[in-house]
Amino acid sequence: MEYIIHLAILFVLYAILGVSLNLVVGYTGLLSVTHAAFYGIGAYATALLSTLFEVPFLISVLIGIVVAGFFSFLMGMVLSRFRGDYYALASLGFNVIMYSIFLNWASVTRGPLGIAGIAKPEIGGVLFSSNLLFLLLAAICLVGIYGISRFMVSSSFGRVLKAIREDETVITIFGYRTLDYKLVVFVISASMAAVAGSLFASYISFIDPSTFTVMESIFILAIIILGGLANIKGSMVGALFLILVPELLRFVGLPNDIAGYMRQFLYGIILIVLMLYRPQGLIGEYKL
Amino acid sequence: MNIIPQLIINSIIAGAIYSLVALGFNLIYGATKFFNLAHGVMATVGGYAVFVLSKVLGFHIGVSVILGVLCAGFVGYGLDKIVYLPLRKKRASNMILLVASLGVFTALEAIIAILFTSQFRTLAQHIGTQRIYEVGSAIITQTQVIILIASLVLMAILGFVLKKTMFGKAVKAVSDDEEVAKIIGINTNKIIGYVFFIGSAIAGLAGILIGFDTGIEPVMGLRLLLKGVIASIIGGVGNIYGGVAGSFLLGLVENFGIWKISAEWKDAIAFVVLIIFLLFRPKGIFQK
Amino acid sequence: MAILKTNKLTKHFEGVHAVDGLSLNIEKATIVAIVGPNGSGKTTLVNILTGMIPYDSGTVIVSDTTHRLKKIKPYTMYSYGLTRTFQEVRLFDQMSVRDNILVVLTKRKVIQSFFETQKSDYTKAANKILQKVGIWEKRNELAKNLSYGQRKLLEIARALVTQAEIFLFDEPFAGLFPEMRKMVSHIVAGLKRKGKTVILIEHDMDVVRELSDYIYVMDSGRLLATGTPREVLSNKEVREAYLGT
Repeated sequence: MEYIIHLAILFVLYAILGVSLNLVVGYTGLLSVTHAAFYGIGAYATALLSTLFEVPFLISVLIGIVVAGFFSFLMGMVLSRFRGDYYALASLGFNVIMYSIFLNWASVTRGPLGIAGIAKPEIGGVLFSSNLLFLLLAAICLVGIYGISRFMVSSSFGRVLKAIREDETVITIFGYRTLDYKLVVFVISASMAAVAGSLFASYISFIDPSTFTVMESIFILAIIILGGLANIKGSMVGALFLILVPELLRFVGLPNDIAGYMRQFLYGIILIVLMLYRPQGLIGEYKL
Repeated sequence: MNIIPQLIINSIIAGAIYSLVALGFNLIYGATKFFNLAHGVMATVGGYAVFVLSKVLGFHIGVSVILGVLCAGFVGYGLDKIVYLPLRKKRASNMILLVASLGVFTALEAIIAILFTSQFRTLAQHIGTQRIYEVGSAIITQTQVIILIASLVLMAILGFVLKKTMFGKAVKAVSDDEEVAKIIGINTNKIIGYVFFIGSAIAGLAGILIGFDTGIEPVMGLRLLLKGVIASIIGGVGNIYGGVAGSFLLGLVENFGIWKISAEWKDAIAFVVLIIFLLFRPKGIFQK
Repeated sequence: MAILKTNKLTKHFEGVHAVDGLSLNIEKATIVAIVGPNGSGKTTLVNILTGMIPYDSGTVIVSDTTHRLKKIKPYTMYSYGLTRTFQEVRLFDQMSVRDNILVVLTKRKVIQSFFETQKSDYTKAANKILQKVGIWEKRNELAKNLSYGQRKLLEIARALVTQAEIFLFDEPFAGLFPEMRKMVSHIVAGLKRKGKTVILIEHDMDVVRELSDYIYVMDSGRLLATGTPREVLSNKEVREAYLGT
């Protein structure tokens, strides 16, 4: 039972990451490969604030959102000038820089040693110490983020995002300052990823830089491409699928480190096969 | 002691390695117009092929190197036939090709890690006994001299082949305009296949040389790829001579950048350079 | 009263003068045709006027607002009442037909568009224009699934709903069936009746003769001739150089 709850929590975390990334990649058509950076910012914000200053969980989440929002704003100012493959590359570069900071700014992040002893969330006197309670908290976050995303994509704002994806030049001559739109959606998406990071840190109670690599960004990308771009439900389906399938590998009895690489291998193959035979994913509404 | 001569030597060695990666990357980009993110893994493939041939099977080191280079070339060629050619035939967008190459990179890296573990390995035959030359107050190892000579010779050969042979002219025709090349009777897919072979083989050589100089590990591909890509962007993507110039420039900036700060920041420095170029000179130093 | 003026507008690409010292003076509520052989700089002109490419020198004056040297930003031209279609139709392919219309109707500011969900008057306006061009039945299809003619009509409809003052139509008749041509020419004439200005880039001289009040003939980025259809079409130089008769 604990195991199933654990999987459910993982699913919720990756669903948050997937739904938020889909706003940028699926709706706006910007192939961002830096989502793990914001996931990491949220995680480090909560980890540092909770271990060093015993800041309450909710406050640390908010600070994580603000920090991720700030960084994504700066990155977005640069990235919004690009599209297509250059965007993908430059965003990947930001992930490398961010990872470098997590790893090498050891006086703050403790570098490769990571940060241990992160407190479980406590909100209004309720300590979310059991996994079931934690799952509830995470699920509430997912519902909130899902709702916000739905609202965004069904508003005029969301329609403009899609138009940017389809033909940015044309929507510009119809009077839209597309840079603003690209920037806003990027910042919102990054802030959502930070929430997932905060949850992750307080759930696992230990974080180190190795979780927030470019590879992790590729995993999240695989989730949303599998589920389907420009479909928020699709990202949840993708997260469910890509959390469950690697777990099957455990039952085959592979050692842990090999299982990790098997998972990576599987994600890679899924990306290739999807591109070859079904680029719109399972229930996607947009083809790259 | 004056450190500057050593920094210059280190810069040149790094530049030589990067230019090997950038050469192949630009060749492939020129012919196919997509960012092949799996290019770096070809270096890993080359490195591990030599590891198996010389250290496991006991082949002569020279034979191993030649076979290792060919092996990387064939893997690149095979990937074109299995993944990229079918996608091109479907007129898939650059983004699909880019994501597919991301999948290839992810999967291949995982396979190598499963087969060889994530341990760091060296290809050098007799550790610690290699000859060292002194140049003023700097030192350079025999391996590094070989790296330098090998990459210069290779650049010269490639330059000659591209400039003077029929094959080189066909590559140029495909790079200028694939449709026109087809109309004048060039079998473009065959040429692109060869380009993948040559580009990947050169990347393989880069991986092998690194293996002799320092060592190989499964995750080396991404970093190499990124350096090659950054060098290419500095020099102007698709311009193979620009890529070489960009490589040496990147080598200089990286090595002088860590003069005052710690060496772990090398990757971050490289990406800061990338972002500066993307912002102010997106088409490289040589173009307006 | 002139609604759009250019003064000695110049643009060259790598030595070729695509637009070479071009001075136009376009009156409000007229239909102006710009004709000329391929590569004479017509599309470059439209691209400059919509801010899609910068120009080298000269001025552009739209609705009394002067733009000098390279100052045009694509999104500003919209606020001066300029809209366009493209020679090669550019739609938002992976969006529904109705969304293609709705997206140009809504608020431009990020914050405003964020809190704007489905507005019934937008939908009404979209439905109305789609009915007008006869593709209302296709409203829920993806734009990429339309036929060539329907795509062309959708693009024109998208320009029409913007309530712009100046419409730049880049070859709106090319490749259309007769009944669709009739519809488009009806739409163009209707715009003039409503006091709007239409700039028509067109190859088909019959259409030009029928619709336009004034013609600019371009060749190698310069004006070869200007005048009413009667004047221009009887101009010997024009007939020889361009019409081939």
